[in-house]
This record gives sequence, structure tokens and C-alpha cells, in this order.
Amino acid sequence: MTTVVGIKTQGGVVLASDKRASKGFFIASKEAQKIFKIDEFTASAIAGQVSDAEYLVHLVQAQRRLIELERGYKPSVFETTRLIANSAYSGLRNYAPFLAEFIVAGIDTEPRLYSTDVSGAISPETFVSNGSGSPIAYGVLESTYKDTMDIKQVEAVAREAVKAAMQRDPGSGDGLEVLVITAGGSR
Amino acid sequence: MSTGQERYQPFFYGPEGRLIQVEYAQEAVGKGSTTVGIRTDNFSLIGSHVRPPRELVDPYDKIFEIDEHVGATGSGYISDMLRLIDELRIESQQYRLTMGTPIDMFTLAKRLGQYIHEYTLYSVRLPASSIILAGADKRGTHLYQVDPSGTFLRGSAFAVGRNSDKALELIIKGYTRDLTVDKAKDLVSSTIEAAVNEKPLLQFGLVESQTGKFKREV
Repeated sequence: MTTVVGIKTQGGVVLASDKRASKGFFIASKEAQKIFKIDEFTASAIAGQVSDAEYLVHLVQAQRRLIELERGYKPSVFETTRLIANSAYSGLRNYAPFLAEFIVAGIDTEPRLYSTDVSGAISPETFVSNGSGSPIAYGVLESTYKDTMDIKQVEAVAREAVKAAMQRDPGSGDGLEVLVITAGGSR
Repeated sequence: MSTGQERYQPFFYGPEGRLIQVEYAQEAVGKGSTTVGIRTDNFSLIGSHVRPPRELVDPYDKIFEIDEHVGATGSGYISDMLRLIDELRIESQQYRLTMGTPIDMFTLAKRLGQYIHEYTLYSVRLPASSIILAGADKRGTHLYQVDPSGTFLRGSAFAVGRNSDKALELIIKGYTRDLTVDKAKDLVSSTIEAAVNEKPLLQFGLVESQTGKFKREV
């Protein structure tokens, strides 16, 4: 019950989400946060069980901090995704899976976008969507995204994709949140 | 102060505040074959004197690939050294498994240091081997020395084993920041030759910053 979208382009990455949190057929919150900054150049958009997702985000923040202190430089976006995927995988293998999916976006040496799920599988993507509204969002993404687009155009596509999903998916709605990460930082 | 008559457990601090087991281990390392490492911004080179135990016996290889981007050599008891080499290889792969990327040199040296450090806490025999690590990571080329005390040092020139003081002195004298690989090899050869007073059989290992890959040259 969510729509999150991530798109990568030459100048950066963009994450977009709706703000609805559901409890069955009840709207539990209209101001849910689904995009989390991990640091200034790394962020994750979550879908699924909120408590599990938030826990893994907090866990990876702690792990990244310890790694940075030990080796002296920040984990890359891929390494960050791998750390989340490791937890997801061990959860699955111990019959206590984390019921959440993540889009991990950021810039290290270049813009990066990954998706990881309950199984701990990692896939690098140029555009991706998760949540109940994702089939609708994908309709917009597949028909409008072009790899020649710049960050502004890509941001517009991400907005449109989430908006379309909010119109037709009962699990998504209540407003739009967007995070754009470029070499200058995130906003 | 010390009469030499105090009774203290050999793995505890002595009256002078030193761990004698560590010093004995370091003494044992000093009897191993002469081994050196040289680093510049362009490469890390390790070289070791190889001694066949007697005629008609093959000598041990002294240059070890740890991972694609790291190599190691060392001096001391060879079986202790092989155990430490195993540990380095395991740590590198463990890091790859959890992070999905090659281990950085500082973390690798630290992990080995921690592994050895555990031995200094209990009444066990310390590994009598000093390891020299050569490698490259995101931040360039690196050279580390890890001792039986668990101490690890980063630097541009190290020597361990027989007459290592003399070898180190000669390397420091011959070291320049713009050393080429060939010049560095010559420096290693002449240094070890002077340290052991014979024409030595040498093995080398090299990482160049350009490729970031470790190569054994034996």
C-alpha cells in the first residue's frame, strides 16, 4: 500500500512517494514519511511494513557510521544497498522476514539507483517503482521516461507517475513527496 | 628494582611493564629471512629473501596473494605466518560478502592486528611472525606492517627478519618519492644482499596504483 518511484539520470537521482499509510481499508495516516535520507548524498524510499522498513533504515545508518569510522570513508550507494539486503536475506532465512522493499538512491562517483526486496536481492535500475501503486506508476514511467532526459525532466516524470498511481490505487494518496539528489546535495 | 627473581605469569606484564611473550615472539621474527616493503604513490612492492632449508628441498614461497588487490609477505615461523595469511584471506572474502566491495587496506591491517591482539590477552603462544601487506584501494597504494603484538603501522618502507635494522637503514637511505619499480627492486636486492652477506634468492610482489591489482613475481 504505497507508491514510491526512483529515477536515475546523468545529473542525479530522484525519489518520489505518496504520503498515505494504510491499515487495511482504513487510512492510518495522511502524512507518512516514506523517503529517508541516509546521508546528504544517499536516500531510501520504503514500501511495506513501516516498522520493519524504518528499523532497517536506522540499522543501515548505524552500520554505515561504524564503517566510515573504521575505514575512514563513506560506504558507497551499492555498499549501503548491500547492507540492507544482508539484513533482509538473513531475516528471510531465519523465518522472520523484514516485510519491506527499498529503493536506494544516491550519488558517489556517479548517480546510482538500486532496488532491494524481502529476499535480499539487489537490482541496479534506471527507473523503478515499488508498492501497490507501482503497476500504475510503471505505466507512466514506461511511456514517458527517456534516457536523454535531464534531472528536471526526470523529476517531472517521477511526480506524474506517483500522481497517476494516487488517482487509481486505493492504497496510495494524500500528497506527494519528492527528493532530488544531485552533486550539490539533496533537496 | 628488578632482581630477576619476581614470580609473575609469563603472559602478564613484567616489572618493567612489558609483555615478555611479545618480545620473545619479536625476537623469533628477527631470526626469519629478511623481508622488506617499499611504497610510493605509484606502487607498493614487497620482497623477501627465500632460503631453501637445505640442498634438494624446495623453498617456501614467501609472496602471497590475499585478494585481487592485496599481497602479503612476512618473516618468522613459517607455519605461524601461513595461519596469518589464511586469516587475511578469510577477512578479505568476509568483507566482500558483507559489503560487496574489496576490503580497504586499513581495515584489513586492523582486522589482522585485532586477530593477533587476542593472543596477547591469554596464556597462549603468540604467532611469531611479522607480516608486510602491500595493496591498493580507493585511496591509493598502501604498505602496512603487522607485528606479533598486534600493532600495525602504515608507512613507505618496512623491513623485518634477519638484520632488518641494517636493511631498513639502507632502504631509508636509498628511498626517494619518485622511485620507479625497477629502481625499487634494485634497492630491495642490494639491501637484502648487504643485510645477509650473500647473493640472495628473492621473490617480489607488486601492486601498481594504475591497475590496482596485485601481481606475484616469483
